[in-house]
Amino acid sequence: MSAPTVFVVDDDAAVRDALSLLISLKGLRVSTFSCGEDFLAVYEPRWRGCLLTDLQMPGISGLELQRQLAERGITLPVIVLTAHGDVATARAALKSGAVDFLEKPVDDDVLIDVLENAIRVDEERYRAQALELHVSQRLERLTARERDVLLLLSEGLQHREIAARLAISPRTVEVYKARMMEKLQCRTLAEVVRIGAEARLRPAQ
Amino acid sequence: MTQFTSAAVPAPLLGRWNYRSWAAAAAYIALYVLCDWLSYVQPVLKLGITPWNPQAGLTLIFLLTVGPQWLGCTALASFLAELLVRNASPTSLLVLAASVWIALGYGGLAALLRHWHLDHHHPIRTTAAAAKFAGACVGVTIVIAAGYVVLFVASGVLPPEHALRALPKLLIGDLTGVLTLTPLLVSTRPWGAAPSVWRQHHWQLLGQLAVLILSVWLIFGLPVTLQLRFFYLAFVPVIWISLRWGLPGGLLATLILQVGLIIAVQDETPSPLIDLQFLMLTLSLTALLLGAAVTERAGVLQRVAMREAEQRALLTMSPDGVLAIDAHGRVRMANPAALELFGAGGGLAAATSLREWLPDLTLQEPVGRATLQGRRTDGRNFTADIAWARLDPPANAGFMVTVRDATERLRLQEEARERDAGVARAMRFAVAGELASALAHELNQPITALVSYLRASDILAAPFSRENERLKTTLGKAAHEAMRASEVLRRLRDFYRTGTLKREPVHLPTVCGSVAVAFQDRLRRANASLVTHMGGPLPMPQADAMQLEIVLHNLLANALDAVCHSTKARRRIELHVGGDAEEVFLRIEDCGPGVAPDLAGKLFEPFVTNKPDGMGLGLAISRSFIRASGGELTFEPSGRLGGACFVVRIPTRGPAES
Repeated sequence: MSAPTVFVVDDDAAVRDALSLLISLKGLRVSTFSCGEDFLAVYEPRWRGCLLTDLQMPGISGLELQRQLAERGITLPVIVLTAHGDVATARAALKSGAVDFLEKPVDDDVLIDVLENAIRVDEERYRAQALELHVSQRLERLTARERDVLLLLSEGLQHREIAARLAISPRTVEVYKARMMEKLQCRTLAEVVRIGAEARLRPAQ
Repeated sequence: MTQFTSAAVPAPLLGRWNYRSWAAAAAYIALYVLCDWLSYVQPVLKLGITPWNPQAGLTLIFLLTVGPQWLGCTALASFLAELLVRNASPTSLLVLAASVWIALGYGGLAALLRHWHLDHHHPIRTTAAAAKFAGACVGVTIVIAAGYVVLFVASGVLPPEHALRALPKLLIGDLTGVLTLTPLLVSTRPWGAAPSVWRQHHWQLLGQLAVLILSVWLIFGLPVTLQLRFFYLAFVPVIWISLRWGLPGGLLATLILQVGLIIAVQDETPSPLIDLQFLMLTLSLTALLLGAAVTERAGVLQRVAMREAEQRALLTMSPDGVLAIDAHGRVRMANPAALELFGAGGGLAAATSLREWLPDLTLQEPVGRATLQGRRTDGRNFTADIAWARLDPPANAGFMVTVRDATERLRLQEEARERDAGVARAMRFAVAGELASALAHELNQPITALVSYLRASDILAAPFSRENERLKTTLGKAAHEAMRASEVLRRLRDFYRTGTLKREPVHLPTVCGSVAVAFQDRLRRANASLVTHMGGPLPMPQADAMQLEIVLHNLLANALDAVCHSTKARRRIELHVGGDAEEVFLRIEDCGPGVAPDLAGKLFEPFVTNKPDGMGLGLAISRSFIRASGGELTFEPSGRLGGACFVVRIPTRGPAES
């Protein structure tokens, strides 16, 4: 995982230079591209941060760039820079998933707010993905019996009821539960219920 | 000479020798012999001369009607008459030759008269035609008579010293017969009205007939020596009848008179006979010429009456006021429209002066037009379009004046002017908007960079700003000003943008119609034509009607400029409008020189033009207008008319929301 970076795409060199200078002075990492094609050519999935793109460019437009990113499954948050009052385009950008849109010329405080917000969104999105990956890895370690106990527990059943349902003794249920909680690294029953809810969504292979 | 040349074209020969012609020929020969026998009073000088020869007239009628090629019948009739009436020897070569000669003479006369259109298709209606007819008959009968006499002298029947005396006697009888009978009977057309004339005027006709008979009875009731002295009495009824009934009446009267004469002179012939013959000839000529003059006059009067009736009807119907002005500037005549215009409902007051109705009008020029104030009798004024013309001599010193209420015309003109002004205003607004938009777009990028640089400078200057507070505030002010500049641009652009797009269902025929009306004057001045084709039922696209009008206006103005630069004789612009459920299209084509290839690619960019005084914004604005409605404006280089072709397409559902 790399450090969060603001990727600036703008055809105007002066705008690109000024924006990158300003953003870097505000303490964020910046990388600039003169067109959308360049960005798409070198993009790597491990890149974190956000994309700040101009709307009107000679090559592919900001909207087109956004569309192609979505097509490739790249979840990098997009912020669109527009000229004056181009409300219709801005609305189109938001509809197709842009985090925000800003009008040129942009106030630096607003810009940094929006950028930081976008980076936070990216981080959260990344963390959620990582957590999800983690849970599913842990669930895979459970045996079939342990998984049954997990599911029934998360449904809110008592030990005796689970024992009756699985035709085993309550004592054995206790053992499975202890093993299961250890594997899932859960300390409280609440955590077990939450993971159980997720497990119901992903049936074991 | 008339222009009815078709009558002179001979019909196919076979068609002419039909049974009706043969029947006519047989009847003719019988009548000829009969007439000869009736009028054969007294052989003069062994020539068989009679006071008048109706058979000569009959011959000419026959040949004119069935055609001169039937002259063989004439020769036969003449020969038979000689045999039967005068007991000539059938083997006499002289009689045969004389018959052939007479036939040839009348055949020639018939051909000549046909050539002059004095035949059965053309009744004599003018004195000129009557004189021509009489002249031809006189000339040809002299020739016939001369030949006849020469034949008889050459054969020794007639002593040469009697030749000159025989000639006029021979001539006059024939001539009288021809002049009396031929014009009367050759054309049946004037007799069509006879039954109705008889029904209406039979007492008058009977009276005239009685006078006629009375005059003959009077003349021949006198002793023979006095008969010729009182012959002029016969002129009175003939002149009276000619004056009353024209040519047919006069000739009929002459005929009746001559029949009476023949009956009267059967037992006792006044001497010398030639005096009587001359009197009869004069009578015939008088009746012919006087009758023709009267007929001509009646025809002229009828034509004048008809023309007057037509003019009266025209004046009554005319939507324009028409005034006839006399030499003193008084209104001599005003038609109903004029009376209504000037509010003179009760009719034209005597001695109304033109000055009362059109105080500003001065009739100096022989022909002229003016637009000035007319004054109604109730005192109200109205604007009138006036045209006048001086009447030609002999009705000189008067004028005809037409008056048209110009109120409606001026109102339409004013409306068109206002509409033009409205379009021009909207166009100027659009030009300013396009300029503002282009300017804002171009300036916004550097301003964006500037603002960002200044904010960066502010951050960079932070370490020093503790020592130099003024640097920080200065940078802050600079950034603020840059933002303000951008704000000015934004407001400028927003100002031109707000309210310009009003989307509503647009009725295309109305838009096209109003643009076409606005262009009428310019098209007329440029001698160009605009043809609009509307195809089928048109859906109403969602668009701004005013903007669409401006687009059409721009495209038509371009097309008109283009055709004015073309060398083609027919300057033509076509506007095709059509569409379906999805979209409507408007295609404007012209026959101008088209667009240069190097210009075609960037036609719609701002500031691109091929006109010396153009800004190059028309097409750019037009395209942004059409795009705002979700449509497209394109250029097609090869129009059907050879020039440029622009196509506007607008979806019927309005622009897509995404």
